[in-house]
Amino acid sequence: MTDPARRVPRVDAADKVTGRTRYSADHCPPGTLHAMLVPASVGRGRVVRVETEAARAVPGVRLVLTRLDPEQVRSPGFPQSGSGYGFQSLQPLLDDRVAYRGQPIALVVADTLTAAVEAAGRVDARYEAEPVAVTLDAEGAHTVVQAEEFPGIRRFADIEVGDADTAFAASPVQVDMTFDFGPQHHAPMELLATVVEWRDGTLVVHESTQNTGAVRHGLARVLGIDPARIEVICPQAGGSFGQKTWLQPHVAPLAVAAARLGRPVKFVMPRKQTFLATSFRPASRHRMRLGADPSGRLLAAIHETRSQTSRHDLFASDYPSITARLYGIGDFRGTQHLTRTDVPTPGFMRAPFEHVSAFALETAVDEIAYATGRDPVALRLDNDTATDPVTGNPFSSRHLAECLRRGAAMFGWAARTAEPGSMRDEDGALVGWGVAAGAYRASAAPGVARLRADAEGRVAVDVTGHEMGQGLHTAVARTVALDLGVAADEVRVGLGDTRSAPQHLTAGSWGTATALAAVHAALRRLRTRLGVPDDGPVDVAAAVLATGRPEVAVEAVTRAPGQSPQAVDRLHAGLSAPAGPEYRGFSAFSFVAHFAEVRVAVETGRVRVSRVVSVVDCGRVASPVTALSQIRGGVVWGIGATLREGSEPDPRYGGFVNADLADYVVPVGSDIGRIEVAFIDEPDPLLNAPGVKGAGEIAFVGVAPAIANALHHATGRRHRALPIRLEDIL
Amino acid sequence: MRPFGYAAPASLAEAVEALAAGGPGTRVLAGGTTLYDLMKLGVERPTAVVDIHHLAELSGFDTTGRDELVLGAGARLADLAEDPVLRRDCPALAESLAKAASQQLRNSATAGGSLLQRTRCGYFRGGPPYPCNKRRPGSGCAARDGTDRGHAVLGTSESCVAAYPGDWAVALLAFDARLDLLGPGGPRTIPLSALHREPGDTPQHEHTLADGELIVRIRVPVTATGRGSAFHKIRDRESFAFALASAAVAVRLGRRGTVQDCRIALGGLATRPWRAHEAERTLLGEELTERSALLAGETALAGARPGTHNGFKVALGIRTVADALRTAGRRAAS
Repeated sequence: MTDPARRVPRVDAADKVTGRTRYSADHCPPGTLHAMLVPASVGRGRVVRVETEAARAVPGVRLVLTRLDPEQVRSPGFPQSGSGYGFQSLQPLLDDRVAYRGQPIALVVADTLTAAVEAAGRVDARYEAEPVAVTLDAEGAHTVVQAEEFPGIRRFADIEVGDADTAFAASPVQVDMTFDFGPQHHAPMELLATVVEWRDGTLVVHESTQNTGAVRHGLARVLGIDPARIEVICPQAGGSFGQKTWLQPHVAPLAVAAARLGRPVKFVMPRKQTFLATSFRPASRHRMRLGADPSGRLLAAIHETRSQTSRHDLFASDYPSITARLYGIGDFRGTQHLTRTDVPTPGFMRAPFEHVSAFALETAVDEIAYATGRDPVALRLDNDTATDPVTGNPFSSRHLAECLRRGAAMFGWAARTAEPGSMRDEDGALVGWGVAAGAYRASAAPGVARLRADAEGRVAVDVTGHEMGQGLHTAVARTVALDLGVAADEVRVGLGDTRSAPQHLTAGSWGTATALAAVHAALRRLRTRLGVPDDGPVDVAAAVLATGRPEVAVEAVTRAPGQSPQAVDRLHAGLSAPAGPEYRGFSAFSFVAHFAEVRVAVETGRVRVSRVVSVVDCGRVASPVTALSQIRGGVVWGIGATLREGSEPDPRYGGFVNADLADYVVPVGSDIGRIEVAFIDEPDPLLNAPGVKGAGEIAFVGVAPAIANALHHATGRRHRALPIRLEDIL
Repeated sequence: MRPFGYAAPASLAEAVEALAAGGPGTRVLAGGTTLYDLMKLGVERPTAVVDIHHLAELSGFDTTGRDELVLGAGARLADLAEDPVLRRDCPALAESLAKAASQQLRNSATAGGSLLQRTRCGYFRGGPPYPCNKRRPGSGCAARDGTDRGHAVLGTSESCVAAYPGDWAVALLAFDARLDLLGPGGPRTIPLSALHREPGDTPQHEHTLADGELIVRIRVPVTATGRGSAFHKIRDRESFAFALASAAVAVRLGRRGTVQDCRIALGGLATRPWRAHEAERTLLGEELTERSALLAGETALAGARPGTHNGFKVALGIRTVADALRTAGRRAAS
């Protein structure tokens, strides 16, 4: 990483800062019409009548759609119920049911955005409203046992190791805490945006997404057409964080409108609707029981959860997966419940389960440290494990102890006095230092890389993967550049395009591992085809010329370790096929240790996170510049998730009240203090040839409990809910 | 879009005429930071807009006067925030500006328009299905039993608990600012304290300006107390957020350190910029101590009636006042 020749800056940075990058909404083919959705204003019920006359009378209005033909448009299916493509199974505009406030009840298309907005505002509807339940404790919310709803599916099953209830009861030191986590929204800078166009019978879709494959095949299923007639393109998304994981329910209706009107149609979802009509991090409640011996050796953990889902889908959770594995706890039980409420189906939001699970576990561990008089870092080191307690297999690589040791040294942890309230700064503010660890599954999906080199020395690679700002363009370009000895900015990278490589969901921190495994394999193949040695710089132009052809093209298809060929079939069908964290003979996780310093003005509840040190084990760092940015961004996310961000449901009307960026409070620059990041940068020996594990989510796992533990150290108060606002400090 | 009339008068006199001609439903456009926002939300639906943002007559300000500062209603908050006299002689005024909104918004928002900034109540801004007596008189108040964490605890009524959101008006109120107005009936001057209404049964009426009446300038009396002033703002993040509680305070100390003059105004806690006269009186003749400052805060919040989620604002308001007094006292003593 110190070798300047290996320092590759973000390859798309110049385009981004000069405005050359084209996002989905920047596409405006000739004749483009503009669409707007009309959201339902009741939280649940039935649409009795939709009045569209006033809307149709607005000059420039071309179409007002209130109902689609069920023969023409079907449900996309829900991924977790088997094979599906939609963020929810519910396809609006097919019947009169309203499942949540904000569900579209009409689609307006007009010559201008202004006319579309105006006409949408003039659509008037009559409803039969029904009582809503939008919180975990609401009357009418219905709770089910997750394992019973998904029989035989291991990743949704309870986790049981040994006999946790007996072992906990026998534990000399016990902690029993209940945590409440509120809903949150992704709030990426780039809004959901779609441009649909029919070109000679082919549906071309520019869609802001991290899953062009599912958009393509989902549209094929919804519209009943051949996926070969659908192209979905998204080379750059302006942030996503899980919001753009699956097919959005408005895309198919836009395609119907575009077909009917014979013109391209563009839709950019207004910010308010993104808080009402898309997925979100569900509310969840966790009871965490942790038993230890007097030396702080962890003996037993019981992690019981209840998580919000919609009426129409079960968004299965995976909370205990990391709580069972962060430490070597011999007896563990994790049981999960789901509560049906009147909301759009919740979904994945950066570290969807691990963020709150780490908060519950790492808060309890901090309690154990205080109960046993142990230093929180030392206690964690003592409970480290080389073996996955769930499977008994070794971890492919696990450097958590080194993360903790190095982080403690960087942070200056040795100077900490354990007593809460014992440290103050020069202005008299209370100072708190806290630590927390995190883990995130190291997954990988099947991937395809197509590599071309020509006689001019140019290299182009098309690969399975999407760019949402995390830096995949750079990681791919750098990998090719360092391998062949060419300049990174001369490597053309194609991502997020169903025309050039089959596309799989890029999420779950598997994007880099997936793409680079395929790119690495393609590079080996290219070298073979060019007849050059297996490593060392290549004179690409000369090598291609020597073959007597103008261009040499190779393709590599890779699978995660132990994956069956059916995984590749799923990739080609736009279905997700990630493997991990359990592989044949080993388990794979990324690890992190976060150290946080807070300064608290107790009189007014003001909390500043003045310093965070994060040491990350994400395998080999594929792109140092963008990885560093990923980790810093994850820490900023953590500060926001801990102290700021909370969606406020309205139990009477449904939906969320603070539906804009003024009232959904994300951090601003002045909320952020110093963030220091270090990487272990040791290649994982088993997961893939480049040795990379994921970085995107591990960055964020454990930030919240590190801050909350620091708050406890400053004030002596334990926090059992997120976000922690100033009224919780006062 | 909804068609509306637009007039860009060339002078103040023409603006007053245009307002009178426009009739009810006409709105004044100055910085546009509230009006455009609410028009996009469909909460404001003016039939006509009279644009005064470009009027040079309104945009000047003079802080060199010995007796008073004269601030044109069209002066930009960003320009005022950087004025060295304001920063030296009335730090609470400068701080209230610097802590308001964001630099981009301060570049546009005006000294007069800011006074009439409308509430951030999510149910007011959210539109249907929420009832809102301010938006649709008689429809009810969704906030009273709803998400009222940011709402007022002082000056509330059965009809409305929406907090006045601004900072600048709160600071001006502590300085006994006066407003020069111009309307169809000619010019008049009112104290700022007479501009805002409490909601009562008519929360849709937020101020006492007559139809077609404009704020022309703000006059701030210059006093020795100004130097011992501070604006303290507590919010959910370090910038670009509305006050959960704010206090503009000013004190002048006598030779023995006793309080000779005291001003306390509150923001984020009340339905209008809120002057706490009784709290001021508890400090007169007293030494400014931790205890007396807290007592002043407690007196200022004595009449608070919290709702469901904003009970913390009472304690927060008390401490915000006390904290602001501590800073102001330090400045007054130096």
